[in-house]
Amino acid sequence: MDATIFGAWVATGLTLLIFSFLYKDTPLFKFAEHLYVGVSIGYTIVKTYDTVILHLIIKPIVENGEFALLIPVAIGMLMLTRYVPKAAWMSRYAFAFIVGMGSGLAIPRTISSFILKQVEDTVRPLLSMAGPDGLTFSMNLLNPASNLNAIIILLGVSSVLFYFFFSIEHSGAGKAVARTGIMFLMISFGAGFGYTVMARMSLLIGRLTDLIEFSDASYGRPTIWLALLTIGALVFISRRTKPASPEV
Amino acid sequence: MTLSEKMLKIDRRIIFLMIGLCTLLPLLYPVGLPIKISAEVRGVYDHIESLPEGSVFFLSIDFDPASKPELYPQAIALLRHAFRKNLRVITLTLWVSGTGMADQIVTNVANEMGKEYGEDYAFLGWSPGGQAVIINMGQDLYSAFPSDYSGKPTKSLPVLEGVRNLKDVTYMVSLGAGRPGVEEWYVFGKDKYKFEMGGGCTGVMAPGLYPLLRSGQINGLIGGLRGAAEYESLIGQKGKAVAGMDAQSATHVAIIVLVIMCNLVYFSQRRTSRAQGQLG
Amino acid sequence: MIFLRRQLPLLITLITGLLFAAQYYVPHPASEQMLTSATKWMQIVGGFALILGVTSLFHQHAVKIKRQEAGWGYSFVLYVGMLGTIAVGLWANGKESVEGAMTAFGWVYNFMMVPLQGTMFAILAFFIASAAYRSFRARSREAAVLLVAAVIVMMGRVPLGEYLIPLSGDVSSWILNVLNSSVRRAILIGISLGAIALSFKIIFGVERSYLGGGKE
Repeated sequence: MDATIFGAWVATGLTLLIFSFLYKDTPLFKFAEHLYVGVSIGYTIVKTYDTVILHLIIKPIVENGEFALLIPVAIGMLMLTRYVPKAAWMSRYAFAFIVGMGSGLAIPRTISSFILKQVEDTVRPLLSMAGPDGLTFSMNLLNPASNLNAIIILLGVSSVLFYFFFSIEHSGAGKAVARTGIMFLMISFGAGFGYTVMARMSLLIGRLTDLIEFSDASYGRPTIWLALLTIGALVFISRRTKPASPEV
Repeated sequence: MTLSEKMLKIDRRIIFLMIGLCTLLPLLYPVGLPIKISAEVRGVYDHIESLPEGSVFFLSIDFDPASKPELYPQAIALLRHAFRKNLRVITLTLWVSGTGMADQIVTNVANEMGKEYGEDYAFLGWSPGGQAVIINMGQDLYSAFPSDYSGKPTKSLPVLEGVRNLKDVTYMVSLGAGRPGVEEWYVFGKDKYKFEMGGGCTGVMAPGLYPLLRSGQINGLIGGLRGAAEYESLIGQKGKAVAGMDAQSATHVAIIVLVIMCNLVYFSQRRTSRAQGQLG
Repeated sequence: MIFLRRQLPLLITLITGLLFAAQYYVPHPASEQMLTSATKWMQIVGGFALILGVTSLFHQHAVKIKRQEAGWGYSFVLYVGMLGTIAVGLWANGKESVEGAMTAFGWVYNFMMVPLQGTMFAILAFFIASAAYRSFRARSREAAVLLVAAVIVMMGRVPLGEYLIPLSGDVSSWILNVLNSSVRRAILIGISLGAIALSFKIIFGVERSYLGGGKE
């Protein structure tokens, strides 16, 4: 049998085993779930060995004499001392280096990218220069860069930041600002939900597209045969499982 | 049990079946409704379109099989466009479990477009460290990737001629499904090394990247399967994303119908309980 | 001993943290060279961190098999999957394809890992639909606003929605580009400020939970 055709049968079978969870949690799903974890771990180990050990460590040391690379190897080995209870404290040096360096790298870059740049775009001029001497105020809502939208964005950012600022009691005018912030938040969460639905449905579309492809005669119609087999197995499993005794 | 109570306690497997059918039927019998192009997706397309031949286009395929249906079509469409424009295409991935897929995407599209490995494109493979890899590439590309995916020394690849680090990249797109992804490429890459950048992401992540788009930190955003379908339409080569749009429409309408039904039942129950309360 | 176990790690964090934060503002060739070397080191250390992460799972399931705890058979399946993939991967030199031809390792990836991981996330589509039906109710004014925004965006981002209600595309685009952008921007600024504060706490030894490892 051709490797691709055999692959189509395996891929379809595993897909259907995972989908069987929609009926109920059965050994079929648990088998596929554990196989998934095992294959993923195995894959990560192989890729790490090939990329890091062979291509980033051994090759440069052996071929180019880059012995300085033994320093990160030593740091990495220190990390693995976590598995030796008596020497586990030595892993602290590795974590101290990683976390310290990570924090140091992140501070200036985060300030520049996410605070300064975002604040700069929020406090844009509320009027635009049009021509040599005229000032205009564009009201076009469909243009995200219009002056009206600039005001809405300023209002949204300020009110949401105020809502999350708990050092001041949200009463009086503050309450109105915080409530505006909540409304902005709800709209954004709604948009987020809409996009999440879109994303989840896309994933299902992707899997069903593959199943449709594998229902083709050129593969031997694994989708049809294995779907029947999975349904049969689910019926068998449900009959064997004793129905739960009714609650009194 | 009243009808509204029965409606709310409906077996969830009936809902599952409804969603399954709403996805399956349009895939089997497509309608082909027209797709409107958004300014976000056009931003990426227009920028690639404006690049002169031989410009260095960098594509970071930062996703794994979990996001394949959304980002795989985006990667294919972007690569087709870049190859058609005769750009020098450099690809890599920061996600270990995405390596095999990234290799497959690049090889397949390059073969389809008649491009030669090493001359027209390169796949650098995967390297761990996320943000560290980005910074290291910004400093020295050959330090971060001394060899490519197949083990060839990167310095020997003609496609990388004149490219020392990320400062020499003309345009970069990160197709991210999480971290590291678009945000990391901006913070640890573009912020210091000043290359022009666009983004592609899953639907879940898209709303969170709009602030970067509005501030001009990225010049375009391809969001989810819909974004991929728009890009496929722009390059005139319709693929899996456009094919999936009818199913996407049907499932969205199904969810909206479910939400409306749920609210109708909820309000009818509330009215009944209020009426009973007044009687009591 | 306390110095070696407790104070020295904190000192390493302080020095590396301050050094790499300062490096951003000093574009001297020596400082740039230090950044190049250190980030290269981090790539290698990142590989070890990955191994540490996956091998902890390895250990957990080994214990389950050894003690024959409930469900140990599944742990055995996990082991078979893992060892099989490692064997095939090493045999294929860690490559999914060689000059365009799929290797056995590539086969395991394409026909096992991709469908398993893809389907695991695809089933969420069914659960989000069920959850929307059961709990997405306009119980309050805020919930009603959220619901209306969600419906508009869901309609506006699919061809059928734009066909049925032509305005939905423009309205959803405005929601995303303006209203959503402002909220996400505020959240981004807030999170960034928090992350910077945490980084300073780590550098100055106020936050130490990351050290773990050992009692002292």
